[in-house]
Amino acid sequence: MRLVAIFNALGIILVALGVIMLTPISVALLAGEHASILPFVVACAVSAGLGLLFQWRGGFSRDFDELKRSEGMLIVTLAWLVTGAVGGIPYLFYGLGPIDAYFESISGFTTTGATILKDFSPYPHTFFFWRSLSQWLGGMGIIVLFVAILPQFAVAGRQMFFAEAPGPTEEKVTPRITHTAKALWLIYILLTVIEVGLLRLSGMPLFDAVCNSFSTMAAGGFSPHPQSIMGYQNPTGVWIITLFMFLAGGNFALQYRVLFQGKIRALAENEEFRLYAAIVTLMSLLLCAALVAGGAAGFNDGLRDGFFQIASIITTTGFASTDFALWAVPAQTILFTVMLVGGCAGSAGGGVKVVRVLFGLKYLKREIAQVVHPKAVLPIKIDRVPVPEDIQRQILGFLLFYISLMTLSALAVSIIEADAAVGIVGTAATIGNIGPGYGAIGPMGSFGHLSDLTKIIFIADMVVGRLELIPFLAMLHPDFWVFKR
Amino acid sequence: MNILICGATETGYMVASQLYRKHNITIVDDLDRLPEKFNNLDVSFVAGNGADVLVLERANTATADLFIACSLIDEANIVACWTAKKISEAETICFIRRMELYRNLASLSQNRYQTKYDIDTIIWPEQLLTQDIFRIISVPDALDVEYFARGKAKLFEYRIKENSLIRNTRIMDCSFPENVIIVGITRNHSLFIPTGSTTIEIGDKVIFMGTGAALDLLAAQFFRNVNVIKTAAVIGGGSVGFMLAQKLEQAGIKVKLIEHDRPRCVYLADNLKRSLILQGDGTDIELLESEAIGDSDVTVCVTNNDEKNLLCSLLIKQLGCERIITRVGNVRNAALFERVGVDVVVSPRDSALKELLNRLQAKDVNILAIVERGQGEVLRLHLPEDFTETLVRDFELPARAIIGVVKRGRNVVIPNGDTPLLPLDQLIVFTMAKDAEAIKSVFAR
Repeated sequence: MRLVAIFNALGIILVALGVIMLTPISVALLAGEHASILPFVVACAVSAGLGLLFQWRGGFSRDFDELKRSEGMLIVTLAWLVTGAVGGIPYLFYGLGPIDAYFESISGFTTTGATILKDFSPYPHTFFFWRSLSQWLGGMGIIVLFVAILPQFAVAGRQMFFAEAPGPTEEKVTPRITHTAKALWLIYILLTVIEVGLLRLSGMPLFDAVCNSFSTMAAGGFSPHPQSIMGYQNPTGVWIITLFMFLAGGNFALQYRVLFQGKIRALAENEEFRLYAAIVTLMSLLLCAALVAGGAAGFNDGLRDGFFQIASIITTTGFASTDFALWAVPAQTILFTVMLVGGCAGSAGGGVKVVRVLFGLKYLKREIAQVVHPKAVLPIKIDRVPVPEDIQRQILGFLLFYISLMTLSALAVSIIEADAAVGIVGTAATIGNIGPGYGAIGPMGSFGHLSDLTKIIFIADMVVGRLELIPFLAMLHPDFWVFKR
Repeated sequence: MNILICGATETGYMVASQLYRKHNITIVDDLDRLPEKFNNLDVSFVAGNGADVLVLERANTATADLFIACSLIDEANIVACWTAKKISEAETICFIRRMELYRNLASLSQNRYQTKYDIDTIIWPEQLLTQDIFRIISVPDALDVEYFARGKAKLFEYRIKENSLIRNTRIMDCSFPENVIIVGITRNHSLFIPTGSTTIEIGDKVIFMGTGAALDLLAAQFFRNVNVIKTAAVIGGGSVGFMLAQKLEQAGIKVKLIEHDRPRCVYLADNLKRSLILQGDGTDIELLESEAIGDSDVTVCVTNNDEKNLLCSLLIKQLGCERIITRVGNVRNAALFERVGVDVVVSPRDSALKELLNRLQAKDVNILAIVERGQGEVLRLHLPEDFTETLVRDFELPARAIIGVVKRGRNVVIPNGDTPLLPLDQLIVFTMAKDAEAIKSVFAR
């Protein structure tokens, strides 16, 4: 592990981040909130200063071309932690404590959408804009962003790109990684712009339309409205957001193929996408039935809320079109089930990812068949291509670690908070980057009243969940920590 | 005809032994002298690599009419054909053993490519064998199946069993559906062409020809054992096993395939969609029993080892499978296989030979099928334009033969004695192989 490379990479990322952090100032100027300029200038200065310091420490070297896998992982993890810290600086100016500010910022960048805010009224537009923007930046992955915009990462980007989203398949839509990163961002920006336009047409104010679109496409869940989407009382808007949440939970590389390479059938032939669409449709109808049967809503509202809430939770967005913390237990259970699924690989969504669930199901099916036919050779195929042994092991390992980590965290939080619901649902909601849970931490509630220790555990859950465990797991091995200059 | 055979292999021997009596054959191979068994053939030999243009020139390729590349290396065959085309007008026939190259050369899409391969005919014996096996499987209970005139006319071969309705009956007394005729009977391993007064006996293998619909009716009336094939077991996962499983999958048949080589199993499992791949030995009786191979509607043994095929076939027959199709590499074993109870014996050589002989015939004669391992042949004859209308009963052929089908334009007629034959008709004629030459000579001009 070469410290020089790590310092330099982090330095470059921090300087770039500093520049990006100047964007909320434009909102401050437009909205006439002059008091909100200072926080972002300070954040920018700190970020750029730190960045230059790191680069000076690394000798301003631009030699990343031989980045090792472990170095890539460390850079990615540190980048997320440091970005969270720098992104939290502005919050300090609005009276949030350091842990709260860090929690809010990490919750933003990891697109979790869990908030510690109890009351939305004292904060200005710029504050909410930054919350949504941080989600939007984190949604496609900050590393993907920097690989796309920073020429220094043209070669080294490969290691970091796959360290950030270590899905089961290395998917590139173009031969070169920077082109892939740009292509993904292109789709991302395009969808966001379309959503802003549609929401505006449905009658949502422009500022809210922009912020909500940022949060939707990132599968984030921060809304400038204290009552989330429910607060707008806009049924058309609810359907629009449902659609875009669904797209945000789909594989962006696949959507790029469909939109720009004209491979329409790629969508229908993708087993993961088919399962994803099937789960969303089926669970939404089930939820609708549960709501209507329980007397909580009429058919129209039930259908709308069913689809919205399932899409919101499965894509790990965490928006609420109604306060689902008040629903009856059957409806809540249906929601909790999809919490454990998550979006597709290569999407903005977090969680276990549909493709891993798909693999898990096929694995079970294979084991059953193997009992009946002990001598049969049964490969597991996804999209008609057999999954190689090492990938199979990796996915199983992932699922196992995911469950262990969730159990540990849930136990710890349950003990600290003396509340099993907060422990279990809160852990699921943070490690899956979903956001709101049930009860006190429901969509209309807040994480603000939890103890600092719980918040720190949740912060760790969010980062580990966003990086899909593997960089984190690598760090548990002592050989990872061998440094040289 | 001057024929150049490139490669003194098994296939080369088979081709040479078929053709040396009537054609001038030169064999080219990278050997010091010809292998022993070629010595009883009257052929000449040129030593050297068949892909080397100098060697080909030395072998007088420029005067060759037909160039057959059948060495063991596919790429060498392709290059040899290619080179031969450059220096002569010869028609080229290339033997291929691997799927990847067969796809390049034989696909219809070849015409789309910028330049074509210089090969006129591709022969991949194992693919031809697969087609033959599949055709036989697709008709329940049949021992042999051939299609003519795009499936409008067919040939089925059945064995007469104890409970058959037509045993001990004279052919003229059988109430067959219209448009079906019996063209041949095999009794005690020898084929003959019956007359109306021939009596059908138990154990006879009877060859029917007729229109598709009429034969299906016949099958339903007289040979209704298993009407639909639902499950099949394939022993051996080589090229034939693999391609056969693919075809069976497409036909909606459930396939269990047994293969002993682990990496090959993985390959098969990766490339087949629904078949169940079992790793194990086809002679492992425990495996056969636990996977209920005996209950499958048909079993196909296509390993590359005759002894193993035979053992598997007999084991599975004991386990209760009604229909066994077995591949035989050494044609001399075939008769033995049938004697001990294998229902259908197939060989890649036969399949390849039919295809090859077809290329050699005069323009107006084609061999459509070879039955009973070469004892009988189905020929297609074209009546010339100046042919005078004749009734079938008055039509003189130099040897015993049965006109099974008359193809007139798009119509298919199953003739009887009163059917007129018109100019430009196509006749599909069944005859004994020894008489085939005489028949052909009438038409070949």
